[in-house]
Amino acid sequence: MSFLDTLLGRTRTNSSSVAKERLLTVLVHDRVKLTPDMMEAMRAEIVAVISKYVDIEDADAIEVSLLRGDTADHLKADIPVRRQRT
Amino acid sequence: MARIVTITSGKGGVGKTTTTANLGTALAIHGQRVAVVDADIGLRNLDVVMGLENRIVYDLVDVVEGRCRLRQALIKDKRFPELFLLPAAQTRDKDSVTPDDMVALCTELRREFDFVLIDSPAGIEAGFRNAIAGADEVVIVTTPEVSAVRDADRIVGLVEANEKGHPKLILNRIRPDMVKRGDMMTNEDVVEILAIDLIGVVPDDQSIITTTNRGEVAVMDRNSQAGRAFSNIARRLMGEDVPLQVLTSNTGLLNRMFGALGLRR
Ligand SMILES: Nc1ncnc2c1ncn2[C@@H]1O[C@H](COP(=O)(O)OP(=O)(O)OP(=O)(O)O)[C@@H](O)[C@H]1O
Ligand SMILES: [Mg+2]
Repeated sequence: MSFLDTLLGRTRTNSSSVAKERLLTVLVHDRVKLTPDMMEAMRAEIVAVISKYVDIEDADAIEVSLLRGDTADHLKADIPVRRQRT
Repeated sequence: MARIVTITSGKGGVGKTTTTANLGTALAIHGQRVAVVDADIGLRNLDVVMGLENRIVYDLVDVVEGRCRLRQALIKDKRFPELFLLPAAQTRDKDSVTPDDMVALCTELRREFDFVLIDSPAGIEAGFRNAIAGADEVVIVTTPEVSAVRDADRIVGLVEANEKGHPKLILNRIRPDMVKRGDMMTNEDVVEILAIDLIGVVPDDQSIITTTNRGEVAVMDRNSQAGRAFSNIARRLMGEDVPLQVLTSNTGLLNRMFGALGLRR
């Protein structure tokens, strides 16, 4: 960032750190070798298993994602369950 | 003991052919007996980059199909008595050669040379598999861009799966001015991501284009920064311990002053 940019308040993240971040994210997927098809099949199976035990709010609202961690990468499933009193 | 080194990248246009021509020439200048092999069948390029395009009689496919002997197809570079080129076929496609053919060819080349450098085509398909089939080691060229590094990562996996050991990395077309202002990934960034050993960093340098225009290579030009970088990589390949030089942009005021005083290295 040049002095002039700073003076004019043009603060933008350096493009190289954006590049690195994007690269690391895309490589998590590349390296785990999960295709979108496999992710979808896995999501459907997770939904089937969970719904044996709890009422799932909306099967389509369930998200399974692959996240980068510091020492390992993570598969994260976010499953909204129905609030109900019996 | 000959060493067969394949130069590959995944992504196209990142500098494989430029690297092969420069490293081959630099190794020959340093006293090694060298063959550079153009394995980019159908897209012959190494001959023009080295300025040897007018001397081709036979090519790699002629050798593989037995129409000539290896010696007849090897073009001797008259400027460097220890440097030879095995050109690719221009009018055939990559399926004219199999990985087994390449292994046999490499076995034959091994008897004659200290170093055999193989210029791989881009991609991860048949041409790439042919190019690495006979290799002892692999050098991956990338530029510090998201798409190129991503493809390089894929290649690292494939090279290791093919039991060619840990590939080495050359970072090409670095622009120190952009690195300095945070607009280009650094050596450290790329090495951290790919987790392989860096054997050299080559600046983005107009002399690559001007020397190629004349059918020469940058290592022949004393004033070329890229040429100096390639020459250092050749020495590292030979096992010399040459520290990575810090690239400086010669556009800065200080550098221009040093340059004017004849102090630019
Ligand atoms: N360090 C550099 N500085 C400036 N220009 C460069 C540098 N390295 C390569 N180039 C230019 O980039 C272009 C592509 O280089 P080259 O043909 O070596 O790439 P390649 O990886 O062999 O491409 P392909 O995948 O098509 O075989 C050429 O025009 C070359 O002159
Ligand atoms: Mg090429």
